[in-house]
Amino acid sequence: MRSDFFKDKIVILDGAMGTVLQQKGLPPGGQPELLNLTDPALLESIYREYMAAGSQVIYANTFGANGLKLGRTGHGVEEIITAAIGIARRAAAGTEVRVALDVGPLGELLEPMGSLPFERAYELFREMAVAGEKAGADLAVIETMTDLYEAKAALLAVKENTDLPVFVTMSFEERGRTFTGCTVASMARTLEGLGADAIGLNCSLGPDLLAPLLKELCENTRLPVIAKPNAGLPDPVDGHYDMGPEAFAQALMPCLDAGVTIFGGCCGTSPDYIRCLKAALAGKSPAPRRYDAAGFLCTPVTPLRLEGVRVIGERVNPTGKKRFQQALLENDLDYILDVAIQQEDAGADILDVNVGYPGVDEVDMLPRVVKKLQSAVSLPLQLDSTNPDALEAGLRVYNGKAAVNSVNGEAAVLERILPIVKKYGASVVGLALDKGGIPQTAEGRVAIARRILDAALSCGIPKEDVWIDCLTLTVSAQQEQAMETLKAVRTVRRELGLQTVLGVSNISFGLPNRPLITQNFLIQAMAAGLTLPIINPNQREMMDAVAAFRVLSGEDVQCQAYVARFTGEAAPVKAAAPSAAGDMTLDDAIIKGLKADAGRLAKQALETESELTLVEQHLIPALDQVGEAYEKGKMFLPQLLSAAQAAQSVFEVIRAAIAEKGGAPVKKGRLIIATVQGDIHDIGKNIVKTVLENYGYEVLDLGRDVAPETIVETAVKENIRLVGLSALMTTTLPAMEETIRQLRELPEPPVTFVGGAVVTPEYAEKMGADYYAKDARQSVEIARKVLE
Amino acid sequence: MRNGQEVNGVKPDIDEALRYLGAGNGAPETLRREISAMADRLAGQLQPRWTYQVFDLRREDGAFRLCGPDIVLAGRTAERMLAQCGQAVLLACTLGVRFDALLRAEQVRDMARAVMLDACGSALVESGCNAAEGEIRARFPDRYLTDRFSPGYGDLPLTLQPSICAALDMPRRLGVHVTGSLLMNPAKSVTAVIGLSDRPQRARIRGCAYCSMRETCTLRKGGKSCAL
Repeated sequence: MRSDFFKDKIVILDGAMGTVLQQKGLPPGGQPELLNLTDPALLESIYREYMAAGSQVIYANTFGANGLKLGRTGHGVEEIITAAIGIARRAAAGTEVRVALDVGPLGELLEPMGSLPFERAYELFREMAVAGEKAGADLAVIETMTDLYEAKAALLAVKENTDLPVFVTMSFEERGRTFTGCTVASMARTLEGLGADAIGLNCSLGPDLLAPLLKELCENTRLPVIAKPNAGLPDPVDGHYDMGPEAFAQALMPCLDAGVTIFGGCCGTSPDYIRCLKAALAGKSPAPRRYDAAGFLCTPVTPLRLEGVRVIGERVNPTGKKRFQQALLENDLDYILDVAIQQEDAGADILDVNVGYPGVDEVDMLPRVVKKLQSAVSLPLQLDSTNPDALEAGLRVYNGKAAVNSVNGEAAVLERILPIVKKYGASVVGLALDKGGIPQTAEGRVAIARRILDAALSCGIPKEDVWIDCLTLTVSAQQEQAMETLKAVRTVRRELGLQTVLGVSNISFGLPNRPLITQNFLIQAMAAGLTLPIINPNQREMMDAVAAFRVLSGEDVQCQAYVARFTGEAAPVKAAAPSAAGDMTLDDAIIKGLKADAGRLAKQALETESELTLVEQHLIPALDQVGEAYEKGKMFLPQLLSAAQAAQSVFEVIRAAIAEKGGAPVKKGRLIIATVQGDIHDIGKNIVKTVLENYGYEVLDLGRDVAPETIVETAVKENIRLVGLSALMTTTLPAMEETIRQLRELPEPPVTFVGGAVVTPEYAEKMGADYYAKDARQSVEIARKVLE
Repeated sequence: MRNGQEVNGVKPDIDEALRYLGAGNGAPETLRREISAMADRLAGQLQPRWTYQVFDLRREDGAFRLCGPDIVLAGRTAERMLAQCGQAVLLACTLGVRFDALLRAEQVRDMARAVMLDACGSALVESGCNAAEGEIRARFPDRYLTDRFSPGYGDLPLTLQPSICAALDMPRRLGVHVTGSLLMNPAKSVTAVIGLSDRPQRARIRGCAYCSMRETCTLRKGGKSCAL
């Protein structure tokens, strides 16, 4: 086995390459990978020094040898990697020393932080991995990652395109998070699930400060753990690291006791450090490990250990929801994100995501919704579909450890879906039914649960990742089934020791005062052992019941969360300002930016007025009044936007009313807005969008960093008459100019308006824009002129 | 010293945040209160991180060159700011991508609060620069610091960003990247140059009120200032 050399053994890696190069007189910065072509002898001599010091694995000089970084050098990825691995191989010839393909971050941030798509990152890593294996690397090491998503792209690229064992190490700050906020537990459990062979920490800190994080890492994985710290911290004046070789080696010894078995050094270390490390490790053997085999789900920033009751929010689902269906059909992902955020604010722990609806291509939609949600929601997701391709597409782009809803006892379903669950390290919900339908007895359902568990285990999915749904049936139709379900939950939880899921709301279908029945069933189910209720977290009765249950079960230590919930102390959502009696008008509510009141008053108004009157006679005049006050400097941007958002809640009421009637939505005209190519900061554009939408315009928001061609194509395809462009930097004004130039070449060019921090009326004219908008308010005036 | 690590206790300046919102003195009390609460919460959630390094300055062909990373600080701004300096500090400060994530989520929840958060973030990263400057000052008690100035200010070119980024190893130390269009990502990131001199330095940018020479300044007596 190629991976035998590091299993249950102590292994010594190498130290820094950059530090040693600088000691040998090379200036910092630049592209050290070019040395593979220009000075192979120097590199070979460094490898030999590390090998002589005791390194059993040497990292080839390929850290930044990716297509993005090399693109500027005129050299190809394969060319550099072949040369680099060749040099290391020569140094290692005739020894047991392994040569690693070293894979560092790409040097650009991935979406949603930057504009590099996950798929493009995968391609760039794939190119490196394939070249590395071909050139004769023994393993791949992905290192210095701070973004779990980028680490995932790299790991998938190596695993799917090579047979190399793969190590992944990430860089953490002292507080136990990476720059992107990723926690140690999220990293460990995600990467183990994705099939890394060893994981660990490198760079950023010295061994003393990394030690507690390494201990935490060891508790969160069964894999061998790697420590490759810096030689302490650098001095800002001279750049020197503050820890010497002996101190470095000694500071790593507590990590050995915590369970680390693979050791090396990063910035500031040299062969001397490795020599001391080897001496310190002589005669030592791996320490016993204590893995915490808990159910777990996560995003990078939210590690969720499954203990007690965890609420799964059910609202991202089109079933029975006209407005949601409309959003899916219209590709309105903002609406879906809004539904998700509301559940997060209401206290959900996990969000179920279901986008299956006639006319929607789930394979395309599910990954897009996953990406959209993880751009702003910090909760882990449960992907809910019966379509294996959609599940795979969704899991692939998911950042963290997700759950899959669902499989059932049917052999064909298990065979189709479990390998996908295993590949992406997800958890899986097994429905206690099979070809024969839902067993009418608890025993029947438990038998299916056992079958699902066995199938999962034989697929390599650990027991803690298997969740069983004993199925809620409607009590008004099959009354005796409520107790059978509870009995099955009890057995699955107590005897099989698995997490239990139930879609709770279904119980009360067809009965009056549904919340009462649902709440009662929820309470009884939790008492029976339900750990993962799927409910509507916006429904107060349900979340109250969960809060109370957590007190009685002892999970809510000292009743803190309960007290906070009911004294309003740390209430997650700010309650709308109480409105003074009933004399507030809709116009007042909009002007004062009172969302909840505006929505409520709009509903009332719709009883007597038409949708159109509401818009024309209340909404627009109120917004205009705010706009004028803003222009005069009597109101400020936050107030303008509050009013716009109150208007938004009125529009939501109108939209829902029209969707109920099955009519077409009220829209006053469509326009495109986009932040031009090269510009990645887009809050200005989003402000304009908020205000325009709340005047009733349909805004096609193409996002940020948008190529001129995309804007032109969309304008043509959607027959758009008005295009708004935003630029923040002088360096992106040329992209704005180019976009306008291309738009003006169309046979029927749309009207253009421009704005943004650096844009002036003079620039606007020079670029050939039709209008200059100094702020969001002026954009509305322009839209009025052009579209009405 | 915690180079590149998060520090505690840096708070955004509320007045500055209000100025970013276009509401300097005229801000209604409710807005000021909201900004103030938001600023406190933000400072509790995340703190600026910074890194800096000191370089010798050499004058070559009429421009200043930072020795080591080989960066040329061309233009009149650098010339005037660094005229009496033998060394300069490159400083980078950031709130990190976690601020961008907070801002993205806030934009979904409530755009009005998002623009306030954005302003608080800008003020917080400025406070971070001030704190970093204080640390530098404390480290060099015998030297005088010029005001700090950044690429894009005066005629100091933005095109310096990539080389400053490389010289300070910003991706690794701070998680800050410079894009092809010279934007820094994450958004709330600042790079700056501070001159180190053996002689007292005028507060050319911050203004006469901050200047150690305000009592004796002949320009000021003549009703003028040395501002660039």
